Amino acid sequence: MMPMAQDDGLEQMYQEVILEASKHPSGRVAFAPDLTDEAVSAGESTVMAPHEACAAGESHQFNPTCGDEATIHVDVSDAVPHRIERVVWDGHGCSISQASLSIMVDLVEGRTVDEAMDLFRTFHALMESRGAGLAEDAKADELGDAIVFQGVSKYPMRIKCALLGWEGLKDSMARALAQA
Amino acid sequence: MADFEAIRRQFPILDQQVHGRPLVYLDSAATAQKPQAVIDAESGFYESINAGVHRGAHELAARSTVAFEDARAAMARFVGASAEEGHEELVVTAGATAGLNLLATAFGYASMGRGPAAARRFALGPGDEIVVSQAEHHSVLLPFQELAARTGATLTWLALDDEGRIRTDTADEVITDRTKVVAMTHVGNVTGAITDLAPVVRRAHEVGAVFVLDACQSVPHLPVDFHALDVDFAAFSAHKMYGPTGAGFLYGRRELLEALPPAWFGGSMVELAWMDKPAQYMDPPARFEAGTQPVAQVVAAGVAAQWLQSIGMDAVAGHEQALTSELLRLGDIPGVRILGPMSATARIGTVAFEVEGVHPHDVGQYIDAQGIAIRVGHHCAQPVHRHFGVYASNRASLGVYNTMDDVHALLDAVAGVRPFFGVGGTRAE
Ligand SMILES: Cc1ncc(COP(=O)(O)O)c(C=O)c1O
Repeated sequence: MMPMAQDDGLEQMYQEVILEASKHPSGRVAFAPDLTDEAVSAGESTVMAPHEACAAGESHQFNPTCGDEATIHVDVSDAVPHRIERVVWDGHGCSISQASLSIMVDLVEGRTVDEAMDLFRTFHALMESRGAGLAEDAKADELGDAIVFQGVSKYPMRIKCALLGWEGLKDSMARALAQA
Repeated sequence: MADFEAIRRQFPILDQQVHGRPLVYLDSAATAQKPQAVIDAESGFYESINAGVHRGAHELAARSTVAFEDARAAMARFVGASAEEGHEELVVTAGATAGLNLLATAFGYASMGRGPAAARRFALGPGDEIVVSQAEHHSVLLPFQELAARTGATLTWLALDDEGRIRTDTADEVITDRTKVVAMTHVGNVTGAITDLAPVVRRAHEVGAVFVLDACQSVPHLPVDFHALDVDFAAFSAHKMYGPTGAGFLYGRRELLEALPPAWFGGSMVELAWMDKPAQYMDPPARFEAGTQPVAQVVAAGVAAQWLQSIGMDAVAGHEQALTSELLRLGDIPGVRILGPMSATARIGTVAFEVEGVHPHDVGQYIDAQGIAIRVGHHCAQPVHRHFGVYASNRASLGVYNTMDDVHALLDAVAGVRPFFGVGGTRAE
């Protein structure tokens, strides 16, 4: 049985960068409970110890329609401007959600919280573009590798997958700042 | 011999292209497509019959009532329930979920002392047990889990074996003399496994419990006779048996329906209503049919039942079993694991599978691009997936209209999944 010819949408969605990132994701460490384990109840997670001079924030994201799930943990510097010292996550999901988390980690680690929020908004705009992409080239350049998700924005059912990690980042940064 | 090619041609929706390819519909376990006869019955009802049932004295109201009751009777004959006037055993619901919730709610009211004296047999309290299985759809698990929580009863369950079959051999241990209700699926909506009901029903009755069957996935695919199965209640949906959405039926043995308190209240279920005295409710099935019913859908569901009966459920099962044997060759594709029985015996053509290294959402996207519709996710049955150690799966499910070509299209497509995603080798160009 031979693999069949693909339609273009599929190739645009599953770019090599995405498949590669989903197989070897950045920032993924095991710290949340395994929810396929019948002994573990859903939703609990172990909060990790923050780095010194950091406030830690953690956010659990779940997409009930497909079961994609990620717990995102950020350490944000106490010093102003607040800077993302570390982002790690644990979870499972489709290649789109996993690759998006990975590319997001590479993009935001070391940036200030404000810069990360700008990227969050730009990525949101990309995902809402229905395949058209961003009007401003400068904005597109800021997204770096994350621009490959433009192909995903054509598929309404998959936008949530690409946004899962970013929503978790936003929420975990807010939680960290609430402590700082 | 039924001509299944001609049967397929009765489904107008199947004659279309999706993503530039002929549509291959393999998601009948979620909802089945509708033959022209059913589509015509629903629209025909609105064109010439539509009126309220069991109320009003005009001609259309009379025609509408006759059509509605004839449909109930046709469905009753199809599933082995009484169709006799005054002894009806099918209650119209909005679907299986509605039927199961109606029942769990009514048991809850019986536990609070509502209903006739005979309703005490449904009453639950602390120390009592409700038994389900780990194969249940959330529509069985959750209403009965909630019922247990409301009444203080304990929920226990029959476990699954390695193939995902319900361990009915443990019925005698799990069902005890504290058990008041046993609720279980006839066919697993993930595994496709047909439950060996006899030992469970026998044990339930031995301890005086009522047995509730989820017949959603059996009625469309197998000959089903509720009297012969000796179950006490059974719920199913019209839309999975080639009928419309929005309608379903709850079967209850007549004497049990008569003992059951109403769950919903309103118009058309009450004989006498007062400001200052308790109402006097109607006999079943009206007692359970408060409010305006999905009349056009029920009428069309009756046509769906007759349509299936005219093909013959043995012929339907035989056709689907031949396709199932071929569909199970999914398990021969490298990296593919079937979540359910590996042979075509005692199972239907609903086959869940995992493609190692590729998330179901990605599998589904790839398969969809080939014009093939399968379901991905947890199929409203998370505990079954936990049993297999996965979060979600892919599921192909057959209906009367499927062909060997459909099955081969899926096998070819699934074989292309791992190469496309570059798993288990290099990415295909
Ligand atoms: C086994 C089983 N039970 C219950 C249901 C619920 O049926 P409905 O959604 O039509 O109420 C389904 C359908 O998804 C099912 O497959």
